[in-house]
Amino acid sequence: MKFCSSCVLPETFPGIEFDKEGVCNYCRHTLVPDKNKKQEYIKKFENLLDDVRGKYDYDVIMAYSGGKDSTYTMYQLADKYNLNILALTFDNGFISKKAMENIVHMSDICGATSLIIRPSFRKMKKIFKIAAVEDLYNTKTLDRASSICTTCIGHVKSLVLKTALEKNIPLAAYGWSPGQAPIASAIMKTSPRLQTFTHKTVRDPILENCRELSTYFLSDDDLKIEKEKWPINIHPLAFMDYDEKEIIKFLKILGWEEPKDTDPNSSNCTLNALANYLHRKKFNFHPYAWEMAGIIRSGSMKREDGLIKTTQEEDLKMVYYAARMIDISID
Amino acid sequence: METVQEVITNFIKENFIMGRSEINLAPDQSLLESGIIDSTGVLELVMFIEEKYSVTIDDEELIPENLDGINNIVNFLKNKGIN
Repeated sequence: MKFCSSCVLPETFPGIEFDKEGVCNYCRHTLVPDKNKKQEYIKKFENLLDDVRGKYDYDVIMAYSGGKDSTYTMYQLADKYNLNILALTFDNGFISKKAMENIVHMSDICGATSLIIRPSFRKMKKIFKIAAVEDLYNTKTLDRASSICTTCIGHVKSLVLKTALEKNIPLAAYGWSPGQAPIASAIMKTSPRLQTFTHKTVRDPILENCRELSTYFLSDDDLKIEKEKWPINIHPLAFMDYDEKEIIKFLKILGWEEPKDTDPNSSNCTLNALANYLHRKKFNFHPYAWEMAGIIRSGSMKREDGLIKTTQEEDLKMVYYAARMIDISID
Repeated sequence: METVQEVITNFIKENFIMGRSEINLAPDQSLLESGIIDSTGVLELVMFIEEKYSVTIDDEELIPENLDGINNIVNFLKNKGIN
């Protein structure tokens, strides 16, 4: 398999073309934010925090999976920026036991209120099974993440927004890595119209197949809430220093422990190995390739490390475990 | 000088379609329904238009009729005085 000589996108990635040096068109077209750009965002971010701090019951709602990125982000918001946090965890039924311990421990360390929302496993099993075997989402969505991950993240984003609106929380934070979301959207006001516009991509396919999950998504009444009350989305890792190994080292000092029952691209979810396995089998590229490529371009990871993460075979024991749980067969 | 249609078309080709030869980008095509952009792509598109043409897109304007398709975007910008 041929890979871009600069990032880790493989020759099987949709739309990829290589130049004479073996560099892909994604690397050539992607603008990587420089120090000045990041500094500009840090300033904007700090001004925003000064505007909201202490004025509401919670300053920020954190989409908190218990994984390394959201834990690190939450710690920065609490420790460096002194924010009062509501940490929302969406328990999809596959959170590693160790990750759950991390959620409790790190929420305490950060002085955060932990709110864990766990739909009945019957409902989650139904939608994960559909996401695993059917074509739920548009192709562009699946360039960036697996179908199963997209399903879960769709719930998380919606629940975070819904809860922020219910509790009048001005900021909604995510631990997106620099490869997951562009710096340009790192501080962005949410809005009912924009939400409605993008419902076609994730919410609608989920609810068309599993109406009983509608409780977890924005309702028509939610979408009528005046735009001024909608929170500002923030994903600070886009402009903060990001080094995965350093982050893990740092978190361990705080008592966060790395789960041993998740695959190398996740530090909280025991479903991820199956999600990656199915995606690779169907599309012939790793669902984390896009993210890893972005992290490498940002200078936050060595290409060699990214290559390992996106070429390593999944642990079949974990794949079969998850497949049994959602009742699908693996050939 | 590039027309608005050319600018938007090139942006979509260079950022979302890349080398996908199977995608035929038609001006009246829905970008979401044809799988050319996803929800992150919508944000990127909105930010590009705002920056490129120094306009602010209000919440009320964030509707498919204005943004989901090249013709829709061109007409939307035309109504904002950008030709």
